[in-house]
Amino acid sequence: MSTQTMQNCETPDACCHVMSPHEQKLADDMAGRKGYRAGRERIYSILDGVSGVTPKIDVERGKYFTESMKDTEGEMLCLRWAKALAHIAENIDIYIDEHNLLVGRAGAKPGRYGILFPELDGNIYEAALKGLKERTESPFDYSEEDARVMVEEIAPYWQGKTFFEDLTKALPKETYDLTYDQDDPMISTYIVNETASFRSSIQWVHDYEKILKVGFKGVKEEAQAMLDKLDPLSPTDNTEKRPFLEAIIIMADAIVLWAHRYGDKAREMAATTTDASRKEELLAIADRCYRVPEFPATNFRDAVQSQWFTQMFSRIEQKTGTIISNGRMDQYFYPYFKADKDAGILTDEQAMELLECMWVGMAEFVDLYISPTGGAFNEGYAHWEAVTIGGQTPEGLDATNELSYLFLRSKQEFPLNYPDLAARIHSTSPERFVTEVAKTIKEGTGFPKLINDEEVVPLLLSKGAQFEEAYDYAVSGCAECRMPNRDTYTSSCAYVNFASALEMVLYNGKTLHTGDHVLGLETGDPNAFASFDDFMAAYNKQTDNLLKHAFIQQYHIIRLRAEHFATPLGSSMHKLCMANQIDLHQPNIPGGIDLGYFELMGYGTVVDSLAAIKKLVFEDKVLTMQEVIDACKDNFEGHAVARQYMLNAPKYGNNDEYADEIGKAVDKHAVEFTRAYSDELGVQLDLRLVPFTSHVPFGKVVGATPNGRYDSMPLSDGSSPTQGMDVNGPTAILLSNFKSKNYEYRNRAARLLNIKFSPNCVAGDAGTKKLVNFIRTWCDLKLWHVQFNVVNRETLIEAKKHPENYRGLIVRVAGYSAYFCELSPDLQDDLIARTTQETI
Amino acid sequence: MPTGTVFNIQHYSVHDGPGIRTIIFLKGCPLSCRWCSNPESHFPGPEVAFNPDKCIGGECKMCLKMAPTHVSWDADADRPILADHRDAAVVRAGSLCPAKAMSIYGQTMSVEDAVREVEKDESFYSRSGGGVTFSGGEPLMQADFLRAVIKECKHRSIHTAIETTAFAPWEEVREIFADLDYLMVDCKHIDPAKHKAWTGVDNSLVLENLKHIHAEFPDKPIRVRTPVIPGFNDDAVTLSAIAHFVKTELPNAEYELLKYHRFGLNKYSFIGKDYTLERDLELDADRFAAFEALVK
Repeated sequence: MSTQTMQNCETPDACCHVMSPHEQKLADDMAGRKGYRAGRERIYSILDGVSGVTPKIDVERGKYFTESMKDTEGEMLCLRWAKALAHIAENIDIYIDEHNLLVGRAGAKPGRYGILFPELDGNIYEAALKGLKERTESPFDYSEEDARVMVEEIAPYWQGKTFFEDLTKALPKETYDLTYDQDDPMISTYIVNETASFRSSIQWVHDYEKILKVGFKGVKEEAQAMLDKLDPLSPTDNTEKRPFLEAIIIMADAIVLWAHRYGDKAREMAATTTDASRKEELLAIADRCYRVPEFPATNFRDAVQSQWFTQMFSRIEQKTGTIISNGRMDQYFYPYFKADKDAGILTDEQAMELLECMWVGMAEFVDLYISPTGGAFNEGYAHWEAVTIGGQTPEGLDATNELSYLFLRSKQEFPLNYPDLAARIHSTSPERFVTEVAKTIKEGTGFPKLINDEEVVPLLLSKGAQFEEAYDYAVSGCAECRMPNRDTYTSSCAYVNFASALEMVLYNGKTLHTGDHVLGLETGDPNAFASFDDFMAAYNKQTDNLLKHAFIQQYHIIRLRAEHFATPLGSSMHKLCMANQIDLHQPNIPGGIDLGYFELMGYGTVVDSLAAIKKLVFEDKVLTMQEVIDACKDNFEGHAVARQYMLNAPKYGNNDEYADEIGKAVDKHAVEFTRAYSDELGVQLDLRLVPFTSHVPFGKVVGATPNGRYDSMPLSDGSSPTQGMDVNGPTAILLSNFKSKNYEYRNRAARLLNIKFSPNCVAGDAGTKKLVNFIRTWCDLKLWHVQFNVVNRETLIEAKKHPENYRGLIVRVAGYSAYFCELSPDLQDDLIARTTQETI
Repeated sequence: MPTGTVFNIQHYSVHDGPGIRTIIFLKGCPLSCRWCSNPESHFPGPEVAFNPDKCIGGECKMCLKMAPTHVSWDADADRPILADHRDAAVVRAGSLCPAKAMSIYGQTMSVEDAVREVEKDESFYSRSGGGVTFSGGEPLMQADFLRAVIKECKHRSIHTAIETTAFAPWEEVREIFADLDYLMVDCKHIDPAKHKAWTGVDNSLVLENLKHIHAEFPDKPIRVRTPVIPGFNDDAVTLSAIAHFVKTELPNAEYELLKYHRFGLNKYSFIGKDYTLERDLELDADRFAAFEALVK
C-alpha cells in the first residue's frame, strides 16, 4: 500500500515547495512589496542606511584611550583604566542620528562602525591595515586620515606594551610553535589557538539590574561608603582597595558625564530641528540623559536608555569577547514594563519600537577584529549580545512573562541578526512559550537558540553554585552561561584542533600542512599498530600533548591578563568584586566560581575518521593503514574507491552505536585530562564544543581526513554531525549527541548543535506541534544547546549566485545568525552542505 | 519466532499517524498501483536499487568483479548494467558496493531487531503521543511477523499504527486489527473494475474489511484515506461516492484526501522498472482544494 508515505525523498516536487516567512519577505522585497514594513517606518529607515554597507573603523576610542594611558604611566592599572574612561567620556564626539529613540554610541561615525582596542593589538596596526579592506572574512573600511591616526598616533605607544607581545614572549618554544605561524605570529597555526590576544575578556554578562535600581549615583555612594570604612592604617587597604574604589568613583562620574553630553547634544538638535515631533522626542531624550544612568530608572523608557548607556560604555571600556551580553532582559525590564502598561503610558508596540531601536543600535556597532585570526573566528561581523528569555526564577519557578513573548514577537515581525535571542527551556516551560518559540524558529532567521535548564542548572550546582544562582543564570556569548554575581573567570581560552592530533598519529608527529617539522609527538609508524586500541592510544597521547600546551598557554594568559587589563565598570556591577574590592580581571576573587573552557575542534570529523579506521582497517580489512594514509596524502586522487569506503563507514549523528561509542571515548579522554590538571591552574576548564565560525579556518590547516573529507575543507562544527553525513533524521542527531556525552563528569560545558530543517517539514500548525515535541524531547535528553536553520537549500544556492537579491537573508551560523551574503564563500558552502532534515 | 522482510525504517516521521513516529516499511504488496511512490516495496524478496549518480564507475567495478555473469559494463556511460535486480548474486555484489550506489531493499529482521529499532526513538514518543507505524508494501502480507511485533510493542507500551490497503483475508488479520492502536486504511476507488485496472485487484475485499473493522472494533481510531490520482479518481462523482461510503459504513472514521505526488519517480529506474503514468502529470492545487471541500 503506502501510496503516499514516501521515503528517501530526494527531489521534492515544485508543487510542495514551501517558503519560510523570512524567505517570503525576501521574495516580497525583490518584487517591490514592502507591506511588511508597515508600522516600523522608523526602524527600517535606520536599518536601510546600515545594511550592506561595509563597516568603518572609528578611531576615537583608541585615540583617547592611548592619550590617557600615556599620561598615567606607572599608576595602578585600575586607576589608569578609570582615568582613560574619563578622558574618553570628556572628548569623544557625540553623535545622534535623526531617527533613533535611544542615544549612546561608542563612536561618532554614522552607520556601522567598529572601535579600536590598542591595548590588545596596537602593535600590529600597520601590517594589519594592509589587508583589512580586502579580506574575505569581515572586512573593514577606513579613511586615510583614520589610518594615519592609527599608525602614527596610536600604534607607536603600544610597541612592546601589548598583551599580545607579552604573551608571545612568555610562551615556551614548544607551545609557541603549536600556537603561532613560524614566520608571522599574527597568523595562528589553528592547532592550539589562543583567543586571548584578540579580546580582553571571554563572553560576559553584567548585573544590569543593579544599575536600573540604584543608578551610577548609587554605585558611587557604595564605593564612597566603602572608602570611608577602610582601615586608615592598613597598607593593603591603602594600596589595593583604595585605588580600586577610587577607580569606581572616577568611572561612575565618567559615564554620567558622557550621558549628560548626549543630553546637551539632544537639546541643541531640538533647538534647530524643524520637525515638531522630532523636536519633542529630542527634548524627552535630553531630559532622560540627565536622569539615567545617574539615577534609578523610573519607567520602561528610562530603563532601556539606562541599560543602553551602560552597555555602550562597557564596550568602550574593553573588548569583551563576542561583546557584552544583555542578560535576562525579560526579567530585569519586566517591573518597568508592567508598571507602565498598568498605568496606561506604554503600549506593546511602543515597547517594541524602543527595543528595536536598541537592536538596530547593536547592529550598527560591529565587533572589529584587527587580526586576521579574529576576523576568521567571527565571520559575518558576528557578535553575541545574547538576550535571554524564559527559564526559571531564582526560586525555581517558571519565569516567562509578557515581555518574553514580546521579544519573540519582535523577532518574528522584524528580522534582524541582532540581538542574539536565547530562550531558556525547562521541563515545565509553558506550552504557550515553547509554541511561540517554535513559531519564531519557523520564521527562518535562526532565532531563538535554545539553552536547556535541565542540563545547565545541575552542572552549575556541581561546580559550586547555590540553587538560586544556578536558576538565575543568563545565556552569554555563543552558547555559554553566566551567573552574573558568582562567575569570576574572564580569561579567554584555547581552541584545540583535534583533527590535527589525528593527523599527528597518521604522520608520526607531523601534519600534512606543516611538513617535516615534528609538531606533535612521535607515536610510531601507524602501520605497526596491531589493533584499533593501539591507534586510539596514540591518538590520546597526541591530544594529551595538545591539551598540555593549551593549559600552559592558559597559565600565562591568566597571569598576564591581570597585568594588562582592568574593568572598573564591569567590577562595579559584580557583588564579589565590590565586596572584596578586587578588579574582575584579577585571578582568585574570594567566593567566585572560575569557569573556563577549552574547545575541542572537529569533533564529528575526528569521530568519523576514527570510526572509518576502526571499521575499514581493523575489522573489515578492506583497506590497509598505508592505503588510508596514501589516500589522505594524495587528497584521494587515484583513491576514489578508498574514499567511498570512508564516506560510507559509520558516522556520528545517526544514532549508530559504532560511531557514538567512539565519540564518547574521545569526549571522555578530554574531560579526564581536565579533571586531572585543571585544578592546578586554580580554575575549572571545561570541555566545550562551540566553534564560532572557526571550524572553517581550522579546516584549512588539516589535510584530507579518513572520513572522506577533502584537504582544507571545514571541520565539523561544534557537536554537530559532519556536514551532510547525518542521514538518519533529526531524532538520530539528538540521540547521538546524548549518547556521546559523559554525564558522570562535571568537567564539561556547552555543546553547540546545529540542525537544518526545510520549511516544508515544519509547515502549518501540525509542523509547529511536532517542532514543540522535538524541543521537549531535546529538553528531556538534557542536551545543552540546539539551534535551527529553517531554509530551503535552493535559497542558499541562489543567494550565493545572486547576492544582490539576498542582502537581507539571515542564516544561523554557529551560535549566532548573520547575513548570508557577508560570509566567506567557504562558510557559505559549509552552510549549504549541512544536511537538510526533510522528514519532520 | 517469525522473521520479516523490511525495506526501510524511517525515524521521525510526522505525517503517518499521531506524534513523532518510526515507520517500518514491510516489503511485498498484492496490489500494483500504477502511481505507487514506493515501487521497491512490491516484490517480497530482496532486490538491488542502483543509483547511477552515486556510482564512481570504472575505477571501481566492484560489482562486475563480484558477479561477472550477472553484471555487464556499459563502457559509454561507464556504469554497470544489471541483468536482474533480484538475483541473489546481484544482491550479494550490491551489498559490497563501496559507494553505496547499489543498495539492497529487503533486509531480514527478527521481531527483536524490529522492536529494538522502534525503541530507539522512545523518548520522542512519550512527549508527542507517537509510536510505530507499519507501512509498506502491504504490511498485512507478513501477518505472522507483524502480529508478533505488534504484541511485543504492546507489551512495551508503544503506540502502534498501520497504513494498509486492508487487502487480506479477514480471519488472518483480525487479531492484528484488534491489537493496533490506530488504523490508516486506503480506499482508492468505489468501482471494482476501475480499481482492478489501476491496482491489479478488485476492491471488494477492501470494502468488506472496512465494514468488518467498524463492526468489530467500532471505537478503534481509524482514518480512511484516498489518494487523488489524475485520470483514476480525480472527479467529483467518484470522490463523493467514496466519501459517502465511508460516512455511512464507518461513521466514526476521519476521512482524508491525499494529494498525488511524484516523489518516488526516480526509484522506478533505480530498480529497473518503468513508470506507467505520464511523467509530468500533476494535480492542480486548486482542484485538490476543491475536492477536499467537496468531501468535508
